[in-house]
Amino acid sequence: MIDGTQVIDYHGHVGRWDPLGMNDDPKLMLHAMDSAGIDKSCVFGIFHPDGTTSNDQAAHFIAQHPDRFIGFAYVSPMMPERMIPELTRAIDELKFPAIKLYPPYTLWPFNQPQWYPIYEFANERGLAVLFHTDGGELSRPRYLSEIAPQYPNAKFVAGHAGNVIEPRTEAIAAAQAHPNVYLETCSTYRTPGVIEQLVNEAGADRVLFGSDTPLMDPRPQIGKIITADISDEAKRLILGGNARRLLGI
Amino acid sequence: MTSLRFKSRVPVFDANVRVGDLLDEPAPYRDRDGVLAEMDRHGVERSLIYHAHAESVSPIEGNNYLEAWLGDDGRTQPQWVVLPTKDSLGQIQSLHAEGRVNCVRLFDTGQRDLPFRPWAYDTLLSWLSEARIPVWILLPEADADALVTTLQAYPSLVSVLVGAHYVHALWLRPMLTALPNAYLELSRYEPICEIESLRDQFGAERLVYGSWYSRLAMGPMLFYLHHTNLTDAELTAICAGNLERILGGGTQ
Repeated sequence: MIDGTQVIDYHGHVGRWDPLGMNDDPKLMLHAMDSAGIDKSCVFGIFHPDGTTSNDQAAHFIAQHPDRFIGFAYVSPMMPERMIPELTRAIDELKFPAIKLYPPYTLWPFNQPQWYPIYEFANERGLAVLFHTDGGELSRPRYLSEIAPQYPNAKFVAGHAGNVIEPRTEAIAAAQAHPNVYLETCSTYRTPGVIEQLVNEAGADRVLFGSDTPLMDPRPQIGKIITADISDEAKRLILGGNARRLLGI
Repeated sequence: MTSLRFKSRVPVFDANVRVGDLLDEPAPYRDRDGVLAEMDRHGVERSLIYHAHAESVSPIEGNNYLEAWLGDDGRTQPQWVVLPTKDSLGQIQSLHAEGRVNCVRLFDTGQRDLPFRPWAYDTLLSWLSEARIPVWILLPEADADALVTTLQAYPSLVSVLVGAHYVHALWLRPMLTALPNAYLELSRYEPICEIESLRDQFGAERLVYGSWYSRLAMGPMLFYLHHTNLTDAELTAICAGNLERILGGGTQ
């Protein structure tokens, strides 16, 4: 809680990635969250294309601290026959409220038909879909401008808000053009002025705080929001207000 | 206690600030007043500054451009950039003769395929060792083996390793162990709880706050350091005291 605002980190992981220092020890993650006033973190696994392994891993992790972590469902078009059954299980049985997709671990840009069944599922249920976005051809934010109007009941979140300047411009353009596109803030680049740009050009009601925990400590990432030259009201929306609205919590 | 607003509660001497334009990236400010305004916004009293042109094109010209950013109030202090060439070393030695060199920053010669090995760097590193001038070295493009084995050949040379990232997570512990005179600048180092863990293993005296503004925003890492379990004494050392000691010619 920061100055009365419940803080939700919209982008986190389960699993270890030891060569990069990523360790999903809940003690470490909770220490970092508590030190910075983060109430809840959204987490998901992305290392298993079957979806089931990652989603069970996330469910087991969340079960240890159900008041602090929220799970997102992961599936991949690399195993297309499993996508909808696994999404149905993760949403209905594991009670995950949103979906995470990671195009770099597939063969197809996320505007291609291999992904459409996921969008149709999200559209039918009014779910939010978080994408990894960057400058790679599989993950360009400009694809959001193609898919968002086709699935108006779904909400699409550009993870990392494109990461660097050219894809970030695409992400902002998609948010400006489509009311169901949102921008999430975690990035190792931490370029000066980016949070201010997202707020000024897309609107504070379309920006979500995320950290990439535990690949990155959430404290410098939330520090981007706190130290940005934006209003307190904008900070409150980014830190938690928008996520609560998107996740229905 | 976290608040929607942040300013440092301890004195801050930023060890890594870039001023001026890169050839393909204009700075977010046009003059020294712009840098000071950003420092004021986050509660940073002093910064060690180098010029972007010195990093990206010419250390000799860039160092000359740096003069306009220094002022006489001590808030922006010079970090001269050096190449292992006769002209570049000559410029630094002239500045040193005027009493104006407290540290240098190595131009990244890896991008020009000059390895960081004694056969290429001996003249420069020997002089820096003899003159007790600490050297800032970029990690992002470094060859870990060349870095460690070369610095081990100059055991009295104090170094500050700049720009460590989570991709260097496997390097840092063995590197800091192998190089007892090396300090770690923190601007990009974000693996979870690692600053507290490095403090536990190596001591706060080996860590140095730098923002790498304007490559990175100035405030986030400073915010991070203020929201750890560092003691106030450790926080003060990391935010200013360690850098003051390094620039004063002291070792750990």
